[in-house]
Amino acid sequence: MGLQRITCLSIFLWAVSFPTAANSQNVSTPNIIIMLMDDMGWGDLGVFGQPAMETPNLDLMASQGMLFPNFYTANPLCSPSRAALLTGRLPIRNGFYTTNAHARNAYTPQEIVGGISKDEILLPQILKKKGYVSKIVGKWHLGHREQFLPLNHGFDQWFGAPNCHFGPYNHTYRPNIPLYNNSKMVGRYYEEFEISEKTGESNLTQIYLEEGLNFIRHQAMARQPFFLYWAADATHAPVYASKRFLGKSQRGRYGDAVMELDYSVGQILSWLVTLGIDKTTFVFFTSDNGAALTSGPHQSGSNGPFLCGKETTFEGGMREPAIAWWPGRIPAGTVSSQVGTVMDLFTTSLALAGLVAPDDRVIDGLDLRPTLFNNTLTDRPVFYYRGNQMMAVRVGLYKAHYWTWSNSWEEFKKGINFCPGQEVAGVTTHTQQEHTMQPLIFHLGRDPGEKYPISVLSEEYLAVLRRVTSVVEQHQKTLIPGQPQLNMCDLAVMNWSPPGCEQLGKCLKPPPSQPWKCDWPH
Amino acid sequence: MSLIMDLYLWVTAALLALLVPDCLAATRPNFVLLFADDLGYGDLGFSGHPSSLTPNLDRLAANGLRFTDFYVTSPVCSPSRASLLTGRYQTRSGIYPGVLYPGSRGGLPLNETTIAEVLKPLGYATAIMGKWHLGYGANGTYLPTRQGFDHYLGIPYSHDMGPCQNLTCFPPDVKCFGYCDQGVVTVPLMSLDTIIQQPVDFVNLDDAYRDFATRFIRTAAEAQQPFFLYYPSHHTHYPQFAGWKSVGRSLRGPFGDSLLEFDSTIGDILQTLDETGVLKNTLVFFTSDNGPELMRMSRGGNSGLLKCGKGTTYEGGMREPAIAYWPGVIKPGVTHSLSSTLDILPTFAKLAGAPLPKVQLDGVEMTDILFNHGPGKREAMFFYPTDPSEKYSVFAVRWGKYKAHYYTRGATHSGTTPDKDCSVFAFLRQHDPPLLFDLESDPSENYNLTLKNFPEWATVQNKIQDLKAAFEASMEFGESEIGKGTDPTLEPCCNPECSPKPKCCQCGTVGY
Repeated sequence: MGLQRITCLSIFLWAVSFPTAANSQNVSTPNIIIMLMDDMGWGDLGVFGQPAMETPNLDLMASQGMLFPNFYTANPLCSPSRAALLTGRLPIRNGFYTTNAHARNAYTPQEIVGGISKDEILLPQILKKKGYVSKIVGKWHLGHREQFLPLNHGFDQWFGAPNCHFGPYNHTYRPNIPLYNNSKMVGRYYEEFEISEKTGESNLTQIYLEEGLNFIRHQAMARQPFFLYWAADATHAPVYASKRFLGKSQRGRYGDAVMELDYSVGQILSWLVTLGIDKTTFVFFTSDNGAALTSGPHQSGSNGPFLCGKETTFEGGMREPAIAWWPGRIPAGTVSSQVGTVMDLFTTSLALAGLVAPDDRVIDGLDLRPTLFNNTLTDRPVFYYRGNQMMAVRVGLYKAHYWTWSNSWEEFKKGINFCPGQEVAGVTTHTQQEHTMQPLIFHLGRDPGEKYPISVLSEEYLAVLRRVTSVVEQHQKTLIPGQPQLNMCDLAVMNWSPPGCEQLGKCLKPPPSQPWKCDWPH
Repeated sequence: MSLIMDLYLWVTAALLALLVPDCLAATRPNFVLLFADDLGYGDLGFSGHPSSLTPNLDRLAANGLRFTDFYVTSPVCSPSRASLLTGRYQTRSGIYPGVLYPGSRGGLPLNETTIAEVLKPLGYATAIMGKWHLGYGANGTYLPTRQGFDHYLGIPYSHDMGPCQNLTCFPPDVKCFGYCDQGVVTVPLMSLDTIIQQPVDFVNLDDAYRDFATRFIRTAAEAQQPFFLYYPSHHTHYPQFAGWKSVGRSLRGPFGDSLLEFDSTIGDILQTLDETGVLKNTLVFFTSDNGPELMRMSRGGNSGLLKCGKGTTYEGGMREPAIAYWPGVIKPGVTHSLSSTLDILPTFAKLAGAPLPKVQLDGVEMTDILFNHGPGKREAMFFYPTDPSEKYSVFAVRWGKYKAHYYTRGATHSGTTPDKDCSVFAFLRQHDPPLLFDLESDPSENYNLTLKNFPEWATVQNKIQDLKAAFEASMEFGESEIGKGTDPTLEPCCNPECSPKPKCCQCGTVGY
């Protein structure tokens, strides 16, 4: 009743909102907006039980759309997760992993030599065939060297940064990360784009919001279908918010960042309504990986009832908040138990645009249209990778861990804890534990927190093991790992002289090239 | 754009104003009090459980006022229920330590005034269905019928307080998990003061409750009599059970099915309220008696992001989901106001226009919260352990967003969690100075505030210490009712003259 009422009200408001002709845009090429948060946890949304209840816009979005409590990323770390979203392929296939050591999460810090392979086909490249204009706002994270940047991989526009907003650096050993407008840098973090270390104040989310809104307006006016990939990063440490939101959350600075992102989501959705293109726009909200619990208490989100967080292949590392929104097409106020992944956004977006995924390669994404439009369920496995190792698999409601690892004793003793208060003996292991001969199996329905492994002596265990084994065998039999792109590091490749630095007088002199094999501790 | 948005917001506000009529009816409102058993803060769909199926409670939450900071007075059953029904800490009424048993000599003292007794003199019809757990006693001395309830259908204590290994908990014939309590009579079902079935038929129990509620509401509605229906459900306490309509339907196994059945019964009650036309004049209030029994592992509940569960004075033991629902009168939303089961009696009394019992109450009325989404009147919450004593007094105090722990202790009920503070092996520990947590930024009680990292540390500690001292000065411990012990001959038996007891206390389905 509750959800229905909100919906009725909303429909009414849409009806009185500014009628424009834009809604008559051909629905065969709907606009696509993917909002990807950074390190935001499943449990950070009011609709998923966060007691602060500070996400009214996301909660409303859920009540007007479809909520997915069983939605996953493809890797518990940002770069591989983002690469998977944009290619529809597991990082092990698209090359966003490392073979330097076993089961290590790799990403794209600015000393990384590699980036997204030119052989990979990204979502905006295919959308072009149907006349889509694509923009990325925010964090790219698929490689910061020129050949890897978004405009060389299908995006028409970009405002944002290629790496995380770590810093400030003093330019002697490390340059500050640049921000780009399209293919030229427009400044650097902590220089032209301030993030106050002391107060956490920054208006980057406001800038990202304006960039998004302007793009949407421009495209609506031009009656041209668009893909907006809105990848704000305020919830990634160091977390930040603009003045208007600082100190507003009862959760502290992290909550301030969430409130500002929530506000921005609300602004974007009402902008679609105002422009009259809400009926022709598919919007999906999710996050790149679980909350970074090790940044707690001040810079971490919540993974709700799930075990551990970012960097791990427990549910807290990979289960993500997810909401689909498309008034009139996606039934309002529905909760779907469909198991989904970020890679499905690739396949689904293509399908919505009337395009097909490339058939010369394995695509891991599922077309979610039957779920979105008819609320049907499709059985599908989820593979939990850490680097080059398949750590776990979910089949139905069961999850089998073939390998477990939180982090090494060495890192743990430095105070890096991915599972604070949640050490489950034999599960959150500090050595890489192999369970291939006898996987740890959990029923995620009865035990979403992965605390109580099913007894290996039970009939249930044997039945599940048979089922899971055939899924895993099938997966491994057909798996051809891509060329690993995240093995080499070099200080010379950092953002010393990004394109456009000359005009700004912000070029720096790189040190001589001395490549080494990157060290990935997690 | 901002002008457009302003206009948009203005239109929204105007519409909302039209849609929320000011209709606090002149007639006395009805009250439906829904009380779950061992259900945790994170167990419901709306409170963030990924595999629970609770469509009706989710609907209540979406259309009602949802409390995020709502507390019970005890991390176990009987004392929590005593406080709910009397508006007083259990230490005053004597419902401590622990819980009442089938053969307990004591019970909620008859001179305590329950919500039913507050409302009855004003002409309210009163009924309870479900778990009483405030005493049975010699000749049913302490049954609800002696505490202001006109109608009763239910089990007078926990449904695991009798052998259950041969009983069916799920159709067609899935036996109850485990053994439950041995050496006592099987669990009886009572209608008023009469045992109509022993052991109870779990599979059809909620259907019986649904019919009972439907009859009660229809009768009162037809007579235009205001009513109070108290439904302390057995769900989701161990051993979980469910009938045909719920079995196997959740994604969460036996616990999920039990929860789904509870949710469905609530749906049936709401439907009857709607069909009889009294919904708009009824305040529905939902909460639970204490935190989840984590020792049951996958068959236990979930306290979400809160620490530990049943039996402990951590948040997971005593903070509960709560909803106030009154369509057209209570505006949907969320409140962070500190509130408690203690506040329900004063609130109902105020809304009904009933005088308060002339005793020391610990509850404060919540109408400011309900109707204005205001801050409410409650200043602090005091956390008694399962075995309160004058020596140790309260284990913890919440004031504003802060909580100070003077003592902590784990509990058997909360065993098996990875957090070592929760298990029975976490023995009693005094904290001097008290542990201090900011529950708004750290709801999980993970990060102790200290003089070093929190400048206001001394001010907050002193304020809490003052509140605690004032509270203790006002506290008079009643004689322990549970301390009066048990007597096997007092256990309810449908066939009182039979032998050998307790085995012979068995009666077939009499029909209810």
